[in-house]
Amino acid sequence: MSIALEADRLTKTYGAVRALDDFSITIPAGGVFGVLGPNGAGKSTLFRIALGLVRPTSGSASLFGAPAGDIRALRKVGAMIETPRYPAYLTARDTLKMLALESGAKNADIDGWLERVGIAHAADRATSGFSVGMKQRLGLAAAFFTKPELVILDEPTSGMDPAGIQEIRALIVDLAQREGVTVILASHQLDEVKRVCDRVAILSKGKIAAEGAVNALTAGDVRLRITAASPIAQVLAVLGTKGVADGSDAVLADIRREETPALIRSLVEAGVEITEARWREADLEGVYLRTLENSQPPLEGAA
Amino acid sequence: MLADAIAAERFRLLRDRSALFWGFCFAPLVGFLLSVAGDLFLRYVSKRPPPDITAGLIDQVIHVLQNGASTFGALFLMIGAAAVLASDYRWETWRLLTPRNTRQNLLLAKLIVVGEAVFWSLSLTALLSALAVLIGSVIDGRALTFSMFDRNLFDVVGVLAITWLEAMTLAALAACVGVLSRSTMGVVIACLGVRFIQTVLASSLRLMEQGQPSWKLLAIPVFDADLLRATLLDPGQLGAASGSAGVALAALVAWVAVLATGAVFLFRRQDLTKE
Repeated sequence: MSIALEADRLTKTYGAVRALDDFSITIPAGGVFGVLGPNGAGKSTLFRIALGLVRPTSGSASLFGAPAGDIRALRKVGAMIETPRYPAYLTARDTLKMLALESGAKNADIDGWLERVGIAHAADRATSGFSVGMKQRLGLAAAFFTKPELVILDEPTSGMDPAGIQEIRALIVDLAQREGVTVILASHQLDEVKRVCDRVAILSKGKIAAEGAVNALTAGDVRLRITAASPIAQVLAVLGTKGVADGSDAVLADIRREETPALIRSLVEAGVEITEARWREADLEGVYLRTLENSQPPLEGAA
Repeated sequence: MLADAIAAERFRLLRDRSALFWGFCFAPLVGFLLSVAGDLFLRYVSKRPPPDITAGLIDQVIHVLQNGASTFGALFLMIGAAAVLASDYRWETWRLLTPRNTRQNLLLAKLIVVGEAVFWSLSLTALLSALAVLIGSVIDGRALTFSMFDRNLFDVVGVLAITWLEAMTLAALAACVGVLSRSTMGVVIACLGVRFIQTVLASSLRLMEQGQPSWKLLAIPVFDADLLRATLLDPGQLGAASGSAGVALAALVAWVAVLATGAVFLFRRQDLTKE
């Protein structure tokens, strides 16, 4: 199995801030790999190190076996890091022409890609007048148009309308499945990640909090959702550490299925008026939030 | 690879009309317009009789070229150089470029393209100053000769080359300052300041010294360029100082090489966290 991106005990500090903390990951070539995490989790830093934009404080990273920043490996990579910016005086077509010249990609299909990302109509307009969504689309064209083997995308659909998001999502899946491009995707849109990615890693405070196939990660997150006419605090008191409020009027119980009758009995005996109890299917959002919750250090003074 | 970076940078500068105009065309155009306007003023407004002197075409071109990298000329050249060398920090576009070529090539390409633009700017200066002399002679009715001091086109090329090298010491400095300050304004201000200080220092030291210039003077690019131009045009007047021309040339080349290498060294080590 060939490896697209590998990080080995990577640490990056910015002053007192530790963006990556002894971080290791291996992302195989092929498919779409999702990188999740709250702002400041270290996603962009990981990408910037891989692309040679910043140097790690310690540890190492490699792309296709070559050290991060090696231009031979980088020429196999397309990337869009954070909100793309362009020289304001260049048109969309000129921006891609300039990047093609820089890469030595003389036969790059510039017009084809402008068409494919849906901004062919604005090809000769200066990018200074582009909306955020159009800039994102141009950034995607810039990432893909030199036919890379690996594409790193940081929030590729941010600022796009729902139709645009769907369009770009289809494009990413198409490139990964039909053209064999490896895609590493960071996004806060968990629904998008679930639809597009085969595997994900959840980052928290510069470390990996969870990693695995999307199906495997979500399979373990099936919980009993209990709604009651009684106060939530009363339900939580019975459940103890196994219960958590789900943000609405219900409580999620983290128990095994065979424990259900005993739990219901305990609740009834405690005087809880249960109105509904059903097993909730897992979703990536639940896994994500729970993983982050578990990865937080306990508050000072807490038991 | 370096050729790719140069082609990309050249393509980009040709699209950046603002940098092209203000940085590399404005000063030659202003010089031309002021010269013609001055002749028109003398002829039609002040109505003085035309001075009874012959205008030397080549002499005037050389005179204008000698001042091509003066503080006024440097101001505009540095505006252009800053746009090329430091605008990727301003536009936050290094993240688009650095994965496509080596950092060394990216920065050297910028410096080479600045060098090309400075060359064309000085050539435009020469061309327009020649045109101004021709127009001036028509307006004033002055006699026109090729050169009154037996100078030829090789002298023009020589002065252009020396002034270009002088300007390139500032361009290489601009590359260093651009990387360190990540600011186009920082480049312009720092380079102008250095240019001004050089002029003051060179004049002051020259007043205090006799005969062969000291190493302190030879370490000042402005002095080196003046010495080289004087050696080329009027070696007889220099006396003992003309023997230092070789050192002056080496000093100019060394400044460009050291500053360019420093800029590349700094850029290769720089974290592009947020450009």
